[in-house]
Amino acid sequence: MHFCASTQRTGLSPFWGCRIDSYGFEKPEEPHEETMVEYLTILSRRSLKWSRLLHGNDKVEKNMKVKRYVRKGVPKEHRTLVWMAASGAQDQLERNPGYYSSLLESEGDAKLEEAIRADIHRTFPDNVQFRDSSEECLQAALYNVLRAFGLHNKEVGYCQGMNFIAGYLIIITKDEEKSFWLLDALLGRILPDYYTTSMLGLRVDQEVLGELVRLRVPVVWQLMQKHNVMWTLVVSRWFICLFVDILPVETVLRIWDCLFYEGSKILFRVALTLIRHNQPLLLQAKNLPDVCERFKQITHGEFVGDCHCFIQVCALRGLAC
Amino acid sequence: PKITYNFLFKFLVIGSAGTGKSCLLHQFIENKFKQDSNHTIGVEFGSRVVNVGGKTVKLQIWDTAGQERFRSVTRSYYRGAAGALLVYDITSRETYNALTNWLTDARTLASPNIVIILCGNKKDLDADREVTFLEASRFAQENELMFLETSALTGENVEEAFLKCARTILNKIESGELDPERMGSGIQYGDASLRQLRQPRGSAAQTKQQCNC
Repeated sequence: MHFCASTQRTGLSPFWGCRIDSYGFEKPEEPHEETMVEYLTILSRRSLKWSRLLHGNDKVEKNMKVKRYVRKGVPKEHRTLVWMAASGAQDQLERNPGYYSSLLESEGDAKLEEAIRADIHRTFPDNVQFRDSSEECLQAALYNVLRAFGLHNKEVGYCQGMNFIAGYLIIITKDEEKSFWLLDALLGRILPDYYTTSMLGLRVDQEVLGELVRLRVPVVWQLMQKHNVMWTLVVSRWFICLFVDILPVETVLRIWDCLFYEGSKILFRVALTLIRHNQPLLLQAKNLPDVCERFKQITHGEFVGDCHCFIQVCALRGLAC
Repeated sequence: PKITYNFLFKFLVIGSAGTGKSCLLHQFIENKFKQDSNHTIGVEFGSRVVNVGGKTVKLQIWDTAGQERFRSVTRSYYRGAAGALLVYDITSRETYNALTNWLTDARTLASPNIVIILCGNKKDLDADREVTFLEASRFAQENELMFLETSALTGENVEEAFLKCARTILNKIESGELDPERMGSGIQYGDASLRQLRQPRGSAAQTKQQCNC
């Protein structure tokens, strides 16, 4: 297996054409220009506010104001810092100096490495930064982080889906060690038992979502009963990938802002919002495959593309829950 | 226009991670090799209508994630499958060794009568072969499986694998060995069959009732 040169810190290549977004993904669809302009305005305003809030500090307090700020989106330049601070990953990193490098050097586990290797080439082939041909290919960083994590948390080891999550972390932080500790915060504390062998946490949360739908969107729950659709069939990818490769990149990052700050309840809010907003479309489904197809359909389009508005709706609906 | 069909079969594609399950499905449905895509998480599905032995059959195919721990999630889809492609990679002994486990899962969770075809995929990578044709065909024989070596890359034997499985199910229906009306058979009548079948079946049931009196 060939990996391109290891890069601990990777910069963004300046040679991207206009069809590649700022994270290296090929754009499937151009967002509306109007929405883009509007969002850029919002971003620069948020950026100013965040700079004032943080003013050189690397601590992020937990209070109503910061919560509001997080829900309105963490600007790109502060994202790593805020995720690290809010999730406790920064504390862990500081308390365990050299731990990540020691994992990199420690003796491996052939089975773990084999499983990770099998997926490295199947992670974001639609992202220029993950291609073999890319100058600063992120495949080596991805391999390192996943391998180190598998050795660190033996109960989890490697589970498919973690590659997408670690991939995003590397794209955002551009730093292996930080990605490692963020992954640890997510898998160890924020989403316990999602990726272990039994996947019990995941299975429980899927059922919890089903129960929430029964209470809040009963017609959709009845539809699922009628066609005998298990929740796991339509939502397991949402939970396992934390919406990576399901919702648009920017929307996923906004969800993750809340995920790191507030915890996993945002996942339920997003799922419920998607389901509730698309009730009419879902209810037209005539059979089981049709239901599955529509659950895919509702993760595309303008509603989820306008991330700022989407997150506001998720958060507000959340309050009503 | 809506295509009418005589039967609908539920199929599974199972086997270890990285054996090319999704690529087989893609080749069968789109007639081309799927390059550069993320691996499957959970379950995906596709469908295609085929002609088998003069009957129109809609295959509804469920493609599953191959990693061991996903079985706790994916097993719930096994229920009521009529057929399965059990896939291993001819260049990986490990994926071959895992076949017994997959087989047990399929027979206990789907149906003991499930019709399974074993597919030794990546036939095009003969230079890296770790599993011979002979030993795999012996395994297939011992376990009452059909067997083909396939290549999702070139398309060799891909169509054949799906069709062979469908034809066998159809034969079993015709011989009475499989009853499409049994719960969880993984077989449904399509609209084309319903028209022909409903009438005589109804009267047959009536006759039977009268006999019981």
